[in-house]
Amino acid sequence: MRFVQYLITAFVLVSLNFFLPRMMPGDPLSCLIGDPGADAPILLTEEMRENLAEYYGLNKPLVEQYRDYLFGLTRGDLGWSIYYNGPVSSVLLGRLKWTLFLGGTAAIIYTLLGTLLGAVSAWKRGTKVDVGLLIFVFSLGSWPPFFLGMLLIIICSFKLGAFPIGGAQSPAAVQAGGLEQVKDVVHHWFLPCLALVLTHLPGIYLLTRNSMLSVLGEDYVRTARSKGLQELRVLLQHALPNALLPIVTTIAMRLGFAIMGTMFVEVVFAYPGMGTLIYQASAARDYPLLQGGFLLITAFVVFFNLVADLLYARLDPRARATWVS
Amino acid sequence: MGELSQMVRGKGLSAVGFAVLAIFGLLAVLAPVFSPYAPVEMDVPMSPPSGRHLLGTDDVGHDILGELFHGARFSLLAGLISGALSTIIGIFVGLVAGYYERLGFAIMRIVDVFLAIPRFPLIVFLAAFLKPGLWTLVLVFVLFGWPRTSRLVRSRVLSERTSGYVDAARVVGADDPHIILRHLLPSSVPIALTRFIAEFQHVILAESGLSFLGLGDPATKSWGMMLHYAFQYPTIFISDVWIWWAVPPGLCITLVVLALTFSGFSLEEWANPRLRKSGLARRTNAPQIFTGGSPIPHRRGARFVLYCTRLVGWIGGR
Repeated sequence: MRFVQYLITAFVLVSLNFFLPRMMPGDPLSCLIGDPGADAPILLTEEMRENLAEYYGLNKPLVEQYRDYLFGLTRGDLGWSIYYNGPVSSVLLGRLKWTLFLGGTAAIIYTLLGTLLGAVSAWKRGTKVDVGLLIFVFSLGSWPPFFLGMLLIIICSFKLGAFPIGGAQSPAAVQAGGLEQVKDVVHHWFLPCLALVLTHLPGIYLLTRNSMLSVLGEDYVRTARSKGLQELRVLLQHALPNALLPIVTTIAMRLGFAIMGTMFVEVVFAYPGMGTLIYQASAARDYPLLQGGFLLITAFVVFFNLVADLLYARLDPRARATWVS
Repeated sequence: MGELSQMVRGKGLSAVGFAVLAIFGLLAVLAPVFSPYAPVEMDVPMSPPSGRHLLGTDDVGHDILGELFHGARFSLLAGLISGALSTIIGIFVGLVAGYYERLGFAIMRIVDVFLAIPRFPLIVFLAAFLKPGLWTLVLVFVLFGWPRTSRLVRSRVLSERTSGYVDAARVVGADDPHIILRHLLPSSVPIALTRFIAEFQHVILAESGLSFLGLGDPATKSWGMMLHYAFQYPTIFISDVWIWWAVPPGLCITLVVLALTFSGFSLEEWANPRLRKSGLARRTNAPQIFTGGSPIPHRRGARFVLYCTRLVGWIGGR
């Protein structure tokens, strides 16, 4: 049942990706080359227009185009990027590694830190520690990520000069190679990673805190306490494992958004990942690239949603029933 | 609403939140009165803060303080309209889906598909194709805002339905619209309001993000758009311009989002009584007597419904 649903979702997304640009005002061709009202219109004769339409298969019936598009997808063909003049799939893959590196490491850090702080907060509920953490985290969660990134650059890079102002590595270090390069990459990675951790920490923290609080009110925790178990043991052995259930699935879901979540931070720090690529694609009106990027991101999200669902079923026997039926 | 205001008084933070929101709301509504210059007036570009321009001017000579006031209009209006619309739609879909089982099952499958679609990428994608503007934003945010609310409302309705008073109302002859509108709707309002706050925040952050990426309407004055232009300015970081150009709109967004969070605190406690300190102590298995204050239709004069775990009877009337 759930698998069918994911299939439907994937199908809807793939179809949206095909039909949306075609539903928009103007035909895909004017999307490709810019319409006459654009900043730098490319004016075409009727004959050139027809040639182009034939080249891209745009004069075929819509159903046939759709079929070609679906077949292309199964071969990993995402179209041709106009701006980069290359296949969309290889342009995307070239940028993916930086996003996975930045988003992945940040995800590990904010997950661990958020869970830890959330558990402490729930344990010390109502005390100064809890209230202090809550206010701090809430204030943190209200900053737009790009604004936070800007402030970090201004203060840490321009004023203090402690970090590079952008990019993922410097050409000199790439040439030097070895340890020098590793140091350089880490140096470039630190600020964007910090920005990501700061913007994503509140979500995990609050979730852990809420989850722990609801678990601490359960009867089995009271039983464990009344048996005379030590507080720490109650917390670690009885409460935390049960509280982790929603956390684990949320983390799995968040990983799917890791690619998109890095977008603003990447743009601000000019980090050469997917986010910057999509930003450039939308600025350059490179629609095939934009569509390909959208498809890749949504595929990630849907896939990790599925993982989260499966994980949940695996961890919670009560949820398994919905998969069987 | 008496309960709500009581809690606000008890909670300093939510009072601060509501106060900040009220100030921003006032600034937004009265922007033309307060702002020293009309948004189209131009002066010397890039002038630092002075008596003439309290926050200086931007690269085309617009007064930044005036832009800030007018930006409040756009950002708050977009958040308010999108949040309100998606909450209203979400409530009604949720009520119907929770009350009618078969229909609800079908509706929830659609909701599931919507929820699985990653929102922000699609919004960026749509914004890149559609003509930017207030109504495009509202449309896109409402389209992807209602499903979460409707799911929450539905689960609330499902639990309310088994809690007895719905049976009681049905026994005394209340029809579906009456039960939905008079009993289930009021009990789902608190949880829907917390969603409204979350939605409001999401729209403000997402709008500023879209504008920052250059996908907003270049002609509108919004906080995100101001940040976009500031960030695009070549020497923004080297000089001190960022202090009065980039920081104020960024801080405004942060403040509004934070104020919404704080005002949400009181709503959350209202929506979820278990969060209240005494909430746990009040949970008891002893038979309870609920007395309904609202008049029951079709049973003229019946005022009170009495039940233990099941309805045992009503008092008064025929």
